[in-house]
Amino acid sequence: MVGPTASLSTLSRADGSACYKCPTTGYDLLGAVNAPIELPARRDALKPEEATVEVFVKPGNTTAGVGERYVEGILRSVLTKVVLGRERGFPRRGVVITLAIVGGETVTRGDSYLTILPALLHTSLLALLSAAVPLSMTFSATLLGVNKSGEIIPDVSVTDAKSVSSLHVLAFTSKNHLLLNKSEGRFDFDTWEKVREHALSICRKNTIFNLDGDVAMGDGEESESQGFIRETVEDRLEKDYMWKIDSV
Amino acid sequence: MRPATAKWPKKSREAPHVAPTGFVRIMSKEAPLSIAERDFILEALREDVRLDGRGADQFRPLSITFGDEYGHVKLQLGKTSLIVRISAEVTKPREDRPFDGLFQINLELSAMGSPAWENGRSNDLEAYVTHVLDSVVRRSNALDTESLCILKGVSCWSIRADVHVLDYDGNLTDAACIAIMTGLQHFRRPDAVVRDGQVVVYGVEERVPVALNITHKPLSITFNSYNDGTTIILDATRKEEQASEGEIVIGINNGGDVCFMSKFSGSPVDAMEMVTKSTVALEKVKDINGQMEKAMQTDLAKRAKQGMADLSRAENDR
Amino acid sequence: MASAAAPPAAPNSLSLPPSQFARLQPHAYLLAHLSPPPAINQPSIRANGRAASQFRVTSANAGSLTHTNGSAVVRLGDTTAVCGVRAEILHTDDIASWSVSQSTNANKRRRLADSEKPTDESDDAEDEEDRAHVEDLNLLVPNISLSTGCAPGFIPSAPPSALAQSLSHQILSLLHTTRMVRAEDLRIWYQPPNLGPEELERHNEEEQMDVDAGQGLEEESKPAEIKAFWVLYIDIMLISLAGNPFDAAWAATLAALRDTKLPQAWWDIDNETIFCSDKVTESRKLSLRGLPIASSFCVFEADAAAGWRAVVIPDAEEQKALEKKGSQQKWILADPDGYEEGLSQERVCIVVDKEENGKGKTVVVKMEKHGGWTVDSDDLRQLVDVSASRWEEMKRILDQC
Repeated sequence: MVGPTASLSTLSRADGSACYKCPTTGYDLLGAVNAPIELPARRDALKPEEATVEVFVKPGNTTAGVGERYVEGILRSVLTKVVLGRERGFPRRGVVITLAIVGGETVTRGDSYLTILPALLHTSLLALLSAAVPLSMTFSATLLGVNKSGEIIPDVSVTDAKSVSSLHVLAFTSKNHLLLNKSEGRFDFDTWEKVREHALSICRKNTIFNLDGDVAMGDGEESESQGFIRETVEDRLEKDYMWKIDSV
Repeated sequence: MRPATAKWPKKSREAPHVAPTGFVRIMSKEAPLSIAERDFILEALREDVRLDGRGADQFRPLSITFGDEYGHVKLQLGKTSLIVRISAEVTKPREDRPFDGLFQINLELSAMGSPAWENGRSNDLEAYVTHVLDSVVRRSNALDTESLCILKGVSCWSIRADVHVLDYDGNLTDAACIAIMTGLQHFRRPDAVVRDGQVVVYGVEERVPVALNITHKPLSITFNSYNDGTTIILDATRKEEQASEGEIVIGINNGGDVCFMSKFSGSPVDAMEMVTKSTVALEKVKDINGQMEKAMQTDLAKRAKQGMADLSRAENDR
Repeated sequence: MASAAAPPAAPNSLSLPPSQFARLQPHAYLLAHLSPPPAINQPSIRANGRAASQFRVTSANAGSLTHTNGSAVVRLGDTTAVCGVRAEILHTDDIASWSVSQSTNANKRRRLADSEKPTDESDDAEDEEDRAHVEDLNLLVPNISLSTGCAPGFIPSAPPSALAQSLSHQILSLLHTTRMVRAEDLRIWYQPPNLGPEELERHNEEEQMDVDAGQGLEEESKPAEIKAFWVLYIDIMLISLAGNPFDAAWAATLAALRDTKLPQAWWDIDNETIFCSDKVTESRKLSLRGLPIASSFCVFEADAAAGWRAVVIPDAEEQKALEKKGSQQKWILADPDGYEEGLSQERVCIVVDKEENGKGKTVVVKMEKHGGWTVDSDDLRQLVDVSASRWEEMKRILDQC
């Protein structure tokens, strides 16, 4: 299976940006972050001692509806926890994250949004990194399905998602905390615990700040997608510091 | 549909300028030009020099690329860049027009394109650009909506063009117009036939998808005027737009038919300019349509090659 | 911090009354309740007097609105939700995608629609078809409005807030994933009579028969045809919001759908339209699949000041060890009220159902957790158990209403 591909700082006007492509679900996303920024129109909503995180999801070929509002709420609550909004220059200001779905299938009304959630999370993380917004830790997310006979299916495609008996999105921080869980379908708790174990092993491979290089753990079946967030950031750094590296 | 006249910062000469403080920008308004910068731009234009060294009648380099799907266009005009996605679905036609399909252009400015735009709130620029695009592309009937009818009064295609602005550096109207026209020509909708009252839509792998019926290829060309109408330039950047005192938009097709012309705010220009500038616009439209055609042919040829490769691979598998 | 001056302590002349303290120092106030100083020998209790996993007093009343097909009012403490279900007829002629078939699945949907009979054995096939009809044709339309003044901050003539919109989505998404409403209940069939003059004479009487029986034995030759659908407009209004809107809204939806009766409807070939019977006896209830019950929780963290300092966040393993050592850092509060919701970011929502009407095992239908990282599998396991006992309680309440 081909892992996702991403690149940082692709746009010029936004403070930080990332494009992200996930081949299994076919989604192609662009994320932009403006931070810190004044939000004069939202003055009453701003918090006095920390930054306000705003998320906006723009669907590819429909107008945004209730589903977007919902997924924005989820993303906001996750990202608010990770962004260090009390750092210098951030209180009373906004961190505005705009995510555009530029490729892939349309998410129709009433769909669960689970299939696109990991991609949205990864895109916003990469865009935040690109904008150099201080974060307490990074995270990584994955989508897993469980079919009728109880087997766990990684790399669920959009069509697969319709036939599985339950669908799970889990996000873990770089310190292995469960940051987000969204499960739908019919399942019992023991199944979920198995899903959790599996998701943790996938997410561990994606996390980037394992500086001692022990990213290669577990059974290695998804080794292509291993540490892709780290690789994306490293690629960008190498490009930006080309002048320095060359001179050394 | 007149945008607020405050769009042209003519008065701001008198208004005291507030220099942007620190690295935090105020949202919902582009950072205004400083007096020195504005004077510099105007002074240079008086001597027929532009900041990026272009001639007055010169476009910035245009690059058109395509995504995986049909009708997915990525356009870059200098530093302005945007993505257009064309999509089609079967719907019911409007009651009063049972023979017509539907066509809609949707433009929503988000904070991605410029930090000055607030998410989820429309601004003047959005309303203005939508209006021009609507007039030039949709109401000039560039896309033949009658050809979108499948079964009279029962079902028709609804075509939708979504414009995502990624980077805004001036001349959004022309860039969006070029991208939409490219998208419409590049897009292929699934084939559909009527079989005893039942509409059958064929998948892309079963039947070759159909191109849309384009009647003509109009594009909008925007001119900005400076120094009391003495200098008129094409394809202004964001800074040039901010320093501009008026704007002329001409929508014209390859055949030289004008389908849209507007001069709705800012300082007056000589009436003759409208005539001479439409000649310039015609030349530009022909040039851009040529570039568009070339980009599209390259892409379609690539797709055909890819398709052949896939086909032979499928045969090998068998 | 101020928590040392715990409010339950005997008031002296300098202390504030508890209500003022609650407003000035909300976090310390709730913390002092949950972890009272050991000296004063009090149990840990929430500021509203409930135990951590205790829900508010819940009441439900069905059929409260006259002009709806089904309605209910659910009260969850001070949070009150009213739900009205209105059924409207949607002709298949008005559905753009109805006369369209994708050739890839070769008229599959049409065939299914024509031949499928409401049998309980073919549950899988029926499930798939339910999805096709209920989801693709949008036969369920829930909408939540947070009415003016339901809580401070809801002003008149404001557009639907992000909260209302996302609640609408959650209800719709849960209705879809649980497949609670069967598509068969929403279909209006037409059985074309066998040709022949005497049949035509008779068919008026025939149509008076039950629709399901209408596709009876002697008429195998012509397949029945779907002529229209019932669309259920589920309008939920929160007339008072004091925390936990989702549980209240979902319970109201559930109670209203259980109460919903659809009139007998048939296609009349002569008038080419659909007639509904006005006899109450001929109307029928929806046969819902299962009884999913939602329980929401919020997590109150002891050290709210952690955000002020650049603390090193412990590893997941370290954190577990830390918790084992005894100092309780967080409390999971069931059915939070508005005050508690304002003091916590992390939310958990679990929707459970029990198979075989409560006798079978517990099935989780939805489990959602976001906004923090303190809750993990051990806590979630406990919460699923709490939700399961809540299921029993809610079932009793809903059965009585």
